[in-house]
Amino acid sequence: MDTNSEKIELRLPFKAEYVSVARLTASGIASRIGFDIEAIEDIKVAIAEVCNKLVVIKSDKSDYYTITFNISHDSLTIVFDCDDDALGCIFGDDENGLGVSIIKALMDDVNLCMNEGSFLSMTRHLEGVN
Amino acid sequence: MSEELKINEKYIDGSLYVVLSGEIDIYTSQGLKERLCDIVEREKSDLRIDCSNLNYIDSTGLGLLVGVLKKVKQNGNKIYLINMKENIKKLFVITGLDKVFNIEE
Repeated sequence: MDTNSEKIELRLPFKAEYVSVARLTASGIASRIGFDIEAIEDIKVAIAEVCNKLVVIKSDKSDYYTITFNISHDSLTIVFDCDDDALGCIFGDDENGLGVSIIKALMDDVNLCMNEGSFLSMTRHLEGVN
Repeated sequence: MSEELKINEKYIDGSLYVVLSGEIDIYTSQGLKERLCDIVEREKSDLRIDCSNLNYIDSTGLGLLVGVLKKVKQNGNKIYLINMKENIKKLFVITGLDKVFNIEE
């Protein structure tokens, strides 16, 4: 598979029962890229922490958010978007919480507050690939 | 949608063990919290949780265990987490909770 700059998008409702779908999707993609089992577990947990926060803060459960998996030959970048600009920095009041601690520890690059529509991104690099 | 979380209880040499199988996430954690709180209220003893077949936990699950620990400590007791898999133990270490709970092999 040519993995240069490919994208996979997952669109989910703000509902707790679908967070596992994000985890399973992340697991499949990370495995396809070549991450080992430990890294796959890390990516699953980090993504789920963002999904958890979204599900908790978003009162209108009929809306959707989008997870974009940006695949390159040496990394996986996950970007979270939704149509609701009001979401802003979703961890703004919880920078020292368990969720943020876990995300920062498990992912290589984390941007908790983005501009230009997307509100959060995180990257995990594939070890040993230049 | 989530892998089902199964919660069983067994007694070994007079001590209660809560045996967890599956995943603790935002969807399954509420049921677990209610069950553990009921057990703590009923037993008023140390809480031993067998994690041999627990495959996943997130911050929601960690948070609920901290809440249950507060209840357990009110009775002067402890929570023992037994046979955690490495991916789960890793999250306890990251969050510093490995120093709060009694983690046993």
